[in-house]
Amino acid sequence: MKAGFYPRLAFDGIRKNKRLYLPYIMACSVMAAVFYIIVFLRHDAAVLNLFGEDLIVETLSLGSIVIACFACVFMFYTNSFLMRRRKKEFGLYNILGMGKRSLVLIVSCETVTVAAASVAIGLAAGITLSKLAELLLVNLLKGSSVDYSFKIDAGAIAQTAAVFSVIFLLILLNSVRQIIFSTSISLLRAENFGEKPPKANWLFGIAGLVLLAAAYYIAVTITSPITALVVFFFAVLMVIAGTYLIMISGSVMFCRILQKIKGYYYRPNHFVSVSSMAYRMKRNGAGLASICILSTMVLVMISSTTSLYFGMEYALGERYPREVTSSVIFESESVLNDESLAPYRKAAEDISNKYGFAPTDTVDYRTGAVVGYLENGTVETDAGVVDYLDAKSIDKGVCQFYFVPLDDYNRMFNTREKLDSKEVMIYMYRGSYDLPEITFNNGETLKIVKRIDYFPTDGDAAMSILPTMVIISKDLEDALGGLLKLADYSGGPLVSPSWIYGFNAGVPAEEQINVMNELYSRFKEISPDRRCHTECVEDSRAGFYGLYGGLFFLGVMLSAVFIIAAVLIIYYKQLAEGYEDQPRFGIMQKVGMTDREIRRSINSQLLTVFFLPLILAATHLLFAFPIINKILLLFNLAASNATLYGIVTVICFAVFALMYSLVYKITSNTYYRIVTGGRERTS
Amino acid sequence: MSILEVSGIKKIYSGRFGGNRVEALKNVSFSVESGEFVAIMGESGSGKTTLLNILAALDKPTSGSVILDGMNLSAIKESAIARFRRDNLGFVFQEFNLLDTFTVEDNIFLPLVLAGKPYREMEDRLRPIAAKLGIPGLLKKYPYEISGGQKQRAAVARAMITDPKMILADEPTGALDSRSSDELLKLFSDVNMLGQTVLMVTHSVKAASVAGRVMFIKDGEVFHQIYRGANTNEQFYQRISDTLIMIATGGARK
Repeated sequence: MKAGFYPRLAFDGIRKNKRLYLPYIMACSVMAAVFYIIVFLRHDAAVLNLFGEDLIVETLSLGSIVIACFACVFMFYTNSFLMRRRKKEFGLYNILGMGKRSLVLIVSCETVTVAAASVAIGLAAGITLSKLAELLLVNLLKGSSVDYSFKIDAGAIAQTAAVFSVIFLLILLNSVRQIIFSTSISLLRAENFGEKPPKANWLFGIAGLVLLAAAYYIAVTITSPITALVVFFFAVLMVIAGTYLIMISGSVMFCRILQKIKGYYYRPNHFVSVSSMAYRMKRNGAGLASICILSTMVLVMISSTTSLYFGMEYALGERYPREVTSSVIFESESVLNDESLAPYRKAAEDISNKYGFAPTDTVDYRTGAVVGYLENGTVETDAGVVDYLDAKSIDKGVCQFYFVPLDDYNRMFNTREKLDSKEVMIYMYRGSYDLPEITFNNGETLKIVKRIDYFPTDGDAAMSILPTMVIISKDLEDALGGLLKLADYSGGPLVSPSWIYGFNAGVPAEEQINVMNELYSRFKEISPDRRCHTECVEDSRAGFYGLYGGLFFLGVMLSAVFIIAAVLIIYYKQLAEGYEDQPRFGIMQKVGMTDREIRRSINSQLLTVFFLPLILAATHLLFAFPIINKILLLFNLAASNATLYGIVTVICFAVFALMYSLVYKITSNTYYRIVTGGRERTS
Repeated sequence: MSILEVSGIKKIYSGRFGGNRVEALKNVSFSVESGEFVAIMGESGSGKTTLLNILAALDKPTSGSVILDGMNLSAIKESAIARFRRDNLGFVFQEFNLLDTFTVEDNIFLPLVLAGKPYREMEDRLRPIAAKLGIPGLLKKYPYEISGGQKQRAAVARAMITDPKMILADEPTGALDSRSSDELLKLFSDVNMLGQTVLMVTHSVKAASVAGRVMFIKDGEVFHQIYRGANTNEQFYQRISDTLIMIATGGARK
């Protein structure tokens, strides 16, 4: 045989089936491009210069792994569809005398061609777009170190080529396996395989409903953010399994039930639709479930990362209520007084004079903090009993308690509140407490005489996800009592009396950081033994942008990949159905269905099949809302900011639905072209 | 009373840009009486499928007219044609054309459902027909579960359920084994005995021999026709064979 025969046959095969292969190559290219971009950014100097680069690099590494895995699964799925359509051709070659060896050669040539084209186009697109992606990422992270030189990363190219070569090799092996283990007749008929009518599998259908209901229940009833994070992955798995079961079995079951209702079923509008739907759902249930899951993933990812990114300033404000905050831990409650604090206050004043600002919104108070289980008005603080690291502890009522002397409260708020011994005023941050008394084991029983609306808690309260109770008492010793004598697990005192001092400086970012640093060194000078901590917003802003911006960027990238995948599944689904419906169309016409009736029936089926995943995705999203909102709490996006997340989610969904409809419009045209094209030939 | 009046039908297919003209039907005229069983015979390419498509209103003649029970087919608007077909004609095809998404029962109901008939009426109509065709046991099965002969009987039931003016059958025995063929042909002649007009296109002599009249089409024209008269099926079979041989060997036109 002439050299180049097989490659030419393979190339012809691709060219003649370009309606099948072009979208496939395009999708593979997009995956390769995104993979390249992410790997490129991971090694990019401009990104490595950013603040918080370790977080970004970690996020990007994770992203590249996710994309590689997803590309593998998705390309396998698409290729199985292609193979099903090509088998007929291969069967014909086989019957005409071409050996399995030759078929394998053709498939190999084909796969190599597709692989080469995909990787080449993908890399070209990736290299072209990498600069744009770099600018986007740096901009998102509010970095400034952008140069406008164009870079190509050979390492990233090699890595992309390697990963995708492996995937294509696996695909090739799978195709070869299919050819070797099938007879020529079964190859010829592969396309018409599975003509049996769908049977409703009640067990699977009901299992799907139960799984979904359980997952929804978990999502809605979850109370604590930590549990949410742990449970979230289980809930996601349950939702995925439930969606597949419902789409595959549940929908057929539903059609079967409809068919039992004679008055409904035997109407012109429902008759053809319902029975074809049962078929369609059986064939496409898995595809529809995949579309639904992908849509949900995109929506969850985009809405949560967008919320995080745009809620960043809010989160920063929540985490850093004052621009600059410092705390000094004193060795005991007895030495924590105005006299010992005087040099600190003096130092702070010196610094504000030096930088020429008047501190505003100043907080200046003494406090002692403990953590304990709060149950029925009793607090257990024993370190031996309390396991703070246990994820479930928050459900058991773990709470932070800040004790603040009344003098400091009155001074800060310019009030003249009076409290007797063992009388306290409380303020709850995240959470509520309604009992009239609170008792600390090994400590005191305190009578709550007033509940106040606001107290300037520090960033620690925001940073931790625990609820915080501020207890204002006559003095620290009066309220803490016996607790002061207790030791924590490391042997130090359980309660560390400390002094909190925070203010807004209103100076430029760099100066703010200088103020913070100077404050720290001056405080340390006063007493080197006392532990001291200072922090400011500007110092942390870059870190926040690194994390949230990185997540946002990755969210956008992954969403792009998932959307492409969903679109392609939709496209192939329409294509497959078009070929299947072609003969059916002809019969219905001969039996006396008008063109309009056929079109209307097909249209309603397409619409249902198409928008079912979107509706289910919306339901998933709705039920995921509470649990994701809880998880966002961990990122300092407090519950009070649920509205931001809500609005972002709604906007994301609207945009997504719009795109989805657009895809529907385009792909359904392809469908009509196939169906009507066949009809012209038969009549 | 004649139920179908075909006069001067001509059908010309032309390729793109008007080239490559093929005259499928030159000049076909005939009429079918109500209650008649007519077979149309002809070799491949003789134009019989074209004729059937025109009679079924699936295609339009280049010139000439088809009048079914007083209605001129070419005068019916495009939008009303499907309904006309559904209400007046019943179809039986070589390839059965049952929808694999429906049970046998639902396949039979299809034309009635499209006509918007209530379920009770559909059942009432189906019962006697199903009994007559011997398919009550198959109604709940799917097409893929039953044999070719059974499928064709289901298709006949579907054609009959609307009580059509005429049943058009296109090579109904073409995909059947000889026993199933015999059963089906017996069925057709039984149905015809009850007054149903049947028009069948076939190239099987066996199939044609159950008809009351056989028309022979050659090169787009009705070349010849013979009536059964008092013949038995066997005698008629012999006459049809003789006629075919005569036509094939270029015998003179009667």
